[in-house]
Amino acid sequence: MSIDYGNLCSVILKQCFGETVQLVGDCLFAANARSLGNIVKSTNLTRREVSTALGILIKYQLVTFQANDVNPFMAEYSLKRDEILYILRYSRYVHLIQTKYGSVGAAIAEELLYSGSQTASNTLLKCLSNNEINEKVETIRDTFVQMIRDNYLIKLPMLVPTESGEPELVPKLHIEDYDLFNPPEIDLAMLAKVQARTVQASQLRDAAVFWQLNFKRFHQDFRDQCMISAVERKLGSSAAECFKYILKQMYERTDPWQRQCSNPFTVVEVKQVVEKNSSNLDLIRHLDQYVALLADDSLHFIRKIGEMGGGQYVVDLAPAFESLALACIENVITERFGSKASRIFRVVRMKKYIEQEDLQKEAMVPAKEAKLLSYNLFQEQFVQIKTIRKAGGGGTGPAKAFYLFYLKYKQIAKMLLDICFKALYNDITRSNYEKNEHKRLIEKSQKLDSIVATMKERGESLEYIAEILETLTPPEREILDKVKNRIKTLSKAELSLDDTIFLLQMYLYHSAQVSVAPATKK
Amino acid sequence: MSGDDISHQILAVIQGIPAGANNEDLEKSLPDITAAVRVEGLNKLLKQGSIEILKKGDKLFYRAKDPKKSALPKDADNEEKIVYGIIEEGGSKGIWIRDIRIQSNLNMTQLNKILKNLETKKLIKAVKSVNASKKKVYMLYNLEPDRSVTGGAWYQDQDFEAEFVDVLNQQCLRFLQMKRDNAEKKREGPLAFKQLSCCTVKEVHKFISDLGISKVNLDEDDLETILKTVVYDGNAERILMSDGSHVYRAINSPLAPPGLVQMPCGICPVIKNCSTCGDVTPTKCQYMKEWLD
Repeated sequence: MSIDYGNLCSVILKQCFGETVQLVGDCLFAANARSLGNIVKSTNLTRREVSTALGILIKYQLVTFQANDVNPFMAEYSLKRDEILYILRYSRYVHLIQTKYGSVGAAIAEELLYSGSQTASNTLLKCLSNNEINEKVETIRDTFVQMIRDNYLIKLPMLVPTESGEPELVPKLHIEDYDLFNPPEIDLAMLAKVQARTVQASQLRDAAVFWQLNFKRFHQDFRDQCMISAVERKLGSSAAECFKYILKQMYERTDPWQRQCSNPFTVVEVKQVVEKNSSNLDLIRHLDQYVALLADDSLHFIRKIGEMGGGQYVVDLAPAFESLALACIENVITERFGSKASRIFRVVRMKKYIEQEDLQKEAMVPAKEAKLLSYNLFQEQFVQIKTIRKAGGGGTGPAKAFYLFYLKYKQIAKMLLDICFKALYNDITRSNYEKNEHKRLIEKSQKLDSIVATMKERGESLEYIAEILETLTPPEREILDKVKNRIKTLSKAELSLDDTIFLLQMYLYHSAQVSVAPATKK
Repeated sequence: MSGDDISHQILAVIQGIPAGANNEDLEKSLPDITAAVRVEGLNKLLKQGSIEILKKGDKLFYRAKDPKKSALPKDADNEEKIVYGIIEEGGSKGIWIRDIRIQSNLNMTQLNKILKNLETKKLIKAVKSVNASKKKVYMLYNLEPDRSVTGGAWYQDQDFEAEFVDVLNQQCLRFLQMKRDNAEKKREGPLAFKQLSCCTVKEVHKFISDLGISKVNLDEDDLETILKTVVYDGNAERILMSDGSHVYRAINSPLAPPGLVQMPCGICPVIKNCSTCGDVTPTKCQYMKEWLD
């Protein structure tokens, strides 16, 4: 976790929940876990304010709490730092659901995102009261259940009842793995009564079961999309379709978040899936060739491990994301230092260790330029230098040493990730600044819009409306358009920045060494 | 009979008489050659440096020169001979003046004098190395400098011809892409497509030679280095064939330009200094301003 990420989290929290939550969030970000008293002391807020802020953060699943090891009556709060970034992805989550389940699904997802976590019945009630949804309650319920079945929604841990029946001071929450995607029973008759306000909402049977969006499932889809589009760009659309079915086959037997590589699958299995689902004749006819092509490619997405069932393969996630992350890094270098620099970077990458002189010969760049570029890359820490000193040599004369360039992939990826966080922070800050600078204008135009809308409703004459509209002078209108354009560009950049962040995070996740299972506890 | 054949015949005769042949010997051995033709042949041999003229009394003798044997004149002293010998050993790679001094054990002023002397006699020459512009190496006058000294086809007077390399790089890439587009049109399945889009160095060499963009003669090794730069640019890949040779094919990058570089922060040279206070801040940023307007 870096300072840049801390700053980013801080602005995100401020944007979504206001300044109090931001202060509490900052305070929690800086430590592993803090107690309520501790937070109150270090933020200078009142106890009530801090409690409310913590309540909000817990509702949105951004803070977890746990009883202190020493004092079981005191709760300690800790921030889920990684998940704060997910807030910026909300629009992508909704968009994905929209394409899969249509507007009903999107409404459910939006409702759950707005409220952080929600019971099934409440979500349905909210969706019913939404004017844009004109579906029957059964359809909404079916979509909800289907989303749970497809693992897009996840059940939150439930309160563990104590033996005495009295609530504990620090409540314990727990859920078994098998129960995570167990759809709830939704009593539609009761729901109708609640809607008619004859029954209290708290009397519903599922009042204690809360649901949330399962971000991991979404990220799995994003990851697949990322890989498929890379295959499409490099090997064409049929190969991309082939890879899509390979991934589908892979999930049959593999935990989606297995780090290094998947469990094996065979070509025959893929063939069955393709023949059942695809109408692409080219793909069906040349399936073996496409699989061989994917395995042979320099992206290293799949790897052959045996001959069983027409060829046994695994999806190699770690090397796949390494090639993608490197492609991203190379792209950044091209934009930042020019194409000659990215050539030098690739030479170092392919040769692993290389001296300056060989480097310029291999890259065919004039000596002076090659030195300038490689030292620039070194200065910005895109390449590293390893010094190998010759033993001996004595005190006289220059010491003999070799200076070899080499790369540290993970370090570069982490550095780029930090730059991304900083860029994102800058983006949001700038956007806030633009909004603040032109606050008066924006508010004026909003006020005007609402006035005009009500006037139209009342059926006032068009001339009168035009007159009112003219209170916003042409120069003002011009500035307003400019500002709106700027904010639009910034928010577009925000989304595309997140793509880069996602890719690099995936690379770091998959390239992490698999930790050996901890020794059994005594 | 052409001039070349005559000079060869004359040379054979001269080489047959180690002490040197005079005009009469030549007349005897080659009776069907007129004096005028013979003079022409002799002149040619003299120019090539394969014979020398000696005067004995008032007669001229022609003696064959051994092209490999040292052409050091007889009046050279011992030091000159030693230095000449060291330079000769250096071969076409040349030898650095410091190494000569160490090996010959002569002092600097004396060595400089000898080298200057030999140079004026056109027995040795100094060649500037491309690796270190100030380093001069010495080699025998009649030797062609080695590639490592001159830098091969990419150097002209110790200057790297970057533009020439760039043009060749682009042309090679164009050829690879053309090949791939042609292969794509055939539609014979993915593996066939891949094989058809591969190019050997020979094919590229032929294409570049036919284009005629190069003034110097490029061999296949030269083009291989160029093709490697195309690979290093990320526009092609190099595939090892079963017979140990390499083929090249054009590829696309697997990623669109990442989001990071679509905004100024991704390419900002002062991002390290950027913070909420100080001169570089996101609200005051000049790059941002230009980008947004």
